[in-house]
Amino acid sequence: MSTSNPSRRRSFTPYFLIAPTLVFLAAFFAWPMVQGLILAVHDDEALLPLVAVASVEGDRTGELSQGAAVEILGQQGNTVEGELTSDLLTEQWFRVTAVGTDGAAVDGWAPETRIRVRDEANDGTPLAGTVRPRLGEGAEPLTDVLAEPNERAEVTGSLDDRAEVEITQVTVLEVWFNVRGESNDGATIEGWAPSRFITTFESGEEGRVDRGSDGEFTLRFVERMFNDRFFSPALRTTLLLMAIILPLQFLLAIGMALIVHSRLKGGSGWLYIFSLPMGMSDLAVGILFFAIFTSNGLLNSILDLFGLIEEPQVFLSADTRGWIIGAIVLAELWRATSIVMVIIVSGLQAIPDETLEAAELFGATYWKRVRYIMLPLLKPSLLVALILRTILAFQVFAVVIALSGGEIVTVLANETFRQYFSLRNNNVASAYAVFILLLSLASSVFYLRIVRTQDELASR
Amino acid sequence: MTTTSPTVKTTVEERKPPLTLGRIVTYGAAATIGVWILFPIWFLFSLAFTTPDEVRSFPKSVFPFTPFSTETMEFFLTASGVGAGLVNSLIVALVAVVLSTAIAAPAGYAIARYLFPGRNIFRLTVLAVRAFPVVVLSIPLAVLFIRANLFDSIISVAIMHTVLTLPTTLLVIASVFASVPYELEEAGQVFGASPWQSFRHIVLPLVLPGIAASAVLTFVLSWNEVFAASVLTIENRTLPALILASLGNSSPAFQFAGGFFLMIPSIIFMFFIRKYLFNLWGQVSK
Amino acid sequence: MAEIRIENVTKVFGDFVAVDDASITVRDQEFLVLLGPSGCGKTTLLRAVAGLGMADAGRIMIGDRDVTYARPGDRNISMVFQSYAIFPHMTVRENIGFGLKMNNASQGEITSNVEEAAELLHIGDLLDRRPNEMSGGQRQRVAVARALAMKAEVLLMDEPLSNLDALLRLEMRAELKRLLREVKATTIYVTHDQIEALSMGDRIAVMKDGLIQQVDEPSTVYAEPKNQFVGSFIGNPPMNFLRGKVHMASDSVAVAIGGSEIVPSPELRDAVSSFDGRAITLGIRAENMGALNAQEANTVRVQVDVVEPLGAQNLLTVRVGDDTLKVSTHPTFPVSPGDELWLKFPADQIRWIDPDSGEVIAGGTS
Repeated sequence: MSTSNPSRRRSFTPYFLIAPTLVFLAAFFAWPMVQGLILAVHDDEALLPLVAVASVEGDRTGELSQGAAVEILGQQGNTVEGELTSDLLTEQWFRVTAVGTDGAAVDGWAPETRIRVRDEANDGTPLAGTVRPRLGEGAEPLTDVLAEPNERAEVTGSLDDRAEVEITQVTVLEVWFNVRGESNDGATIEGWAPSRFITTFESGEEGRVDRGSDGEFTLRFVERMFNDRFFSPALRTTLLLMAIILPLQFLLAIGMALIVHSRLKGGSGWLYIFSLPMGMSDLAVGILFFAIFTSNGLLNSILDLFGLIEEPQVFLSADTRGWIIGAIVLAELWRATSIVMVIIVSGLQAIPDETLEAAELFGATYWKRVRYIMLPLLKPSLLVALILRTILAFQVFAVVIALSGGEIVTVLANETFRQYFSLRNNNVASAYAVFILLLSLASSVFYLRIVRTQDELASR
Repeated sequence: MTTTSPTVKTTVEERKPPLTLGRIVTYGAAATIGVWILFPIWFLFSLAFTTPDEVRSFPKSVFPFTPFSTETMEFFLTASGVGAGLVNSLIVALVAVVLSTAIAAPAGYAIARYLFPGRNIFRLTVLAVRAFPVVVLSIPLAVLFIRANLFDSIISVAIMHTVLTLPTTLLVIASVFASVPYELEEAGQVFGASPWQSFRHIVLPLVLPGIAASAVLTFVLSWNEVFAASVLTIENRTLPALILASLGNSSPAFQFAGGFFLMIPSIIFMFFIRKYLFNLWGQVSK
Repeated sequence: MAEIRIENVTKVFGDFVAVDDASITVRDQEFLVLLGPSGCGKTTLLRAVAGLGMADAGRIMIGDRDVTYARPGDRNISMVFQSYAIFPHMTVRENIGFGLKMNNASQGEITSNVEEAAELLHIGDLLDRRPNEMSGGQRQRVAVARALAMKAEVLLMDEPLSNLDALLRLEMRAELKRLLREVKATTIYVTHDQIEALSMGDRIAVMKDGLIQQVDEPSTVYAEPKNQFVGSFIGNPPMNFLRGKVHMASDSVAVAIGGSEIVPSPELRDAVSSFDGRAITLGIRAENMGALNAQEANTVRVQVDVVEPLGAQNLLTVRVGDDTLKVSTHPTFPVSPGDELWLKFPADQIRWIDPDSGEVIAGGTS
């Protein structure tokens, strides 16, 4: 880029000026992209660590994989980590004051399994209750109250069955399960894990690791993308569209650019008309071509006008994939040729008039000037346009949806959207996104390499 | 070797070169392409301004607007969600315009006016971000917004659109600043203005039209954008996201009127920014 | 045989007349310089000859062919452009051979012509370079070589030296003159630099405001300008002009200037006397006046304002009434600012000019 005499003095000013851009791009571009890359190859919920005691501080005894079957050996409450949500398996503990077994006043915590609430405030807060009697043989007749709402806490006193208690405080604890299962390396391990990660079966004694709390790198999502039944049609269609559209588009764009450059009467008017589709929503263009190709649309009306058809033809159906592809090609040619044209016109404007006049004077006809002067000098512009259009062609989306509903004909961007939106699978969606990114990068590098090789051959 | 002063000679026998075949072919091609571009727009325009019955009818008149009616357009504009979607779209576009202009303008000035270590890397970074696929960025950004509880909020769409338009805005503004000779600013300072004053009174008036053009461009890009808007929202949809989501279960009248409605800003605004189109690309190919 | 006949050519842009009814005949193998200030229409006229801008009226003949509407490539001409217009994506060899290739010359002819032209311009060792690896002077040589390689009968040059720095320009001027003598093409050379015009051209056509003012050999244009503009545009310093008043003396006519009187040469007395009682303009060149310390016949008393020693001569700026004159004197002539002098106006060196039209009435040695 030509700068008109930029200041050469060293100062920090330019860094202050570009700082907001850098910060913004770091926060909303670089950071999410890194996250996105990780999402494609990292399963955040792959592993469930087990700990020796029902506490986050407990020592790890090993990890179970997502989906592993477990035996549930016991359960116990523990402080809720994070938000208290309705789907958490919880138990309540009450802080109670009462007269103890030995007649002394007792103040301590007991779980909801030991206290029956008898009296509640209007808002449902428990106020008083009685100690549940222990039933069955060999049952411990007394109920211990503890210094903290935790079964491992110190005993501060004990209560008789049916003793009346006042409830001064309530706390909600998450249930942890003591489970036994088989880890990835085949060893049987035992330990505690929060119940939220484990689905229990009806018996209550068996369950399955629903999801983990620890991640691991995996190619699972990438494999799932490759094995998805829409993947290969989507990739094939995307590449097919590109292979048809890009050559036609560049021919048309070069033609349009030469027309604009040839200084017709009403010069900037032609430029305005030719560049009009450039600013248009791809969705609107998709709808526009739907209006043309739909069964009571423009195409059928024209065919009918000339008596070429008896009744409206169906162009956009599962049986007419070829027509749909054709309609998408036309829509994309209509919509995205302008941008290529503008890039080429801008390249043409950079060729000095005298250069073209010199060629003309030395006997080059118009087509020879195009062939020997304009096209070679347009090479950088064409390269930019080609890279840009290829990257955009990998993202073609709304036009396809509007013309095919996204089922009959599908493309990579549509599959990304489906995985994310309909199937709610962020990881596979990210894998698609990364795949599109790699295709874009690879094609750009490919073009640049071709051009460089050509230049090297030419300079020999 | 006459000695009279030059005047417009009205009596001169005007001998123009004959209209060559090449010229005729060029005009023919230009007209054909013009029809190829304008006729579909005209067709959709006519569908949007007729009765819903006519939209359903077959065969359609090729010279449409029969009957002319605002019924279809009214049907679209009063459909449920469209009003809110329009408001969302406008808010998103305006926030994106303000954000990207405010963030990009200083950086554009820095690129145009200063040579500093890292300038080229910065420029290339911006160029790379511009070429970056929107589809690729939408998913991670959506995940991030979910984590930040910003999901389904139009602010998240506005931020996404700012990321999309920031690089373009920055490069356009840089090229606009570069087109104002630095000597003008220096001259201002020589005549006693402070750097800020000479920027304010000399440079700003000269670059304002260019900045306005880039703002218009940002507005149109944001107004059109449908993929990210669809990914980032469920309830608070922008207009294109709303239309996309209802493609499967809405009437053609709704779709055609909606499609044409989406086209209106670009038809109007492209006219005002057409001379800046080349600022967008002129510098890239260098 | 390639004579160029420009007949009544007019070119109009909107309502601006760039070239107004211009007629020049350039003889076969002649080097004609089109000279004028910028915007005078000289480049427009050249482009009409080249076919790069069609004439709106008039006719252009090259040899026996009417080429008014011929395409540039069909005119058998070649050209050196002001910006050189070297094709940046081609090597020097491809550039020089471009015209031959476009005209379907054989490979052998292309090679030999290219090498010959390159030798003439001393760029034989640059043939495989690209233009972006070369200096301005080298590109200039490529542009000239490209034009010469065509071996066209007509060579057009549009300010070819204007983009060179002063020293290089001086060198190329001499070289171009030598080359063009060798190649014997009919040449039209456009410039705004009167020194280039005087030193290079066989003839000079001076243009102003779209009109051809004078077409003559350099010495004639210099010594006998046809009007005040030509006199003021050519020569450094330009011709001096001062006002006088014509009155009839007893038997003769005299022109009063600042209290002194000048008598025209005998053959012009009738012409000057027709201005009796009116103002008239005298034109005279700085070196044609003699500085004297005492009054003689046909002298004017002047006051010296500035003395500029230029080595071979001293240039004086002197005042006569409201008019200012430049006078060159021998460096040994003693003078300093504030001095009063008498300037001798040799009658045969004076151009008498009608102050209303700016045209020379008659005069000098003609």
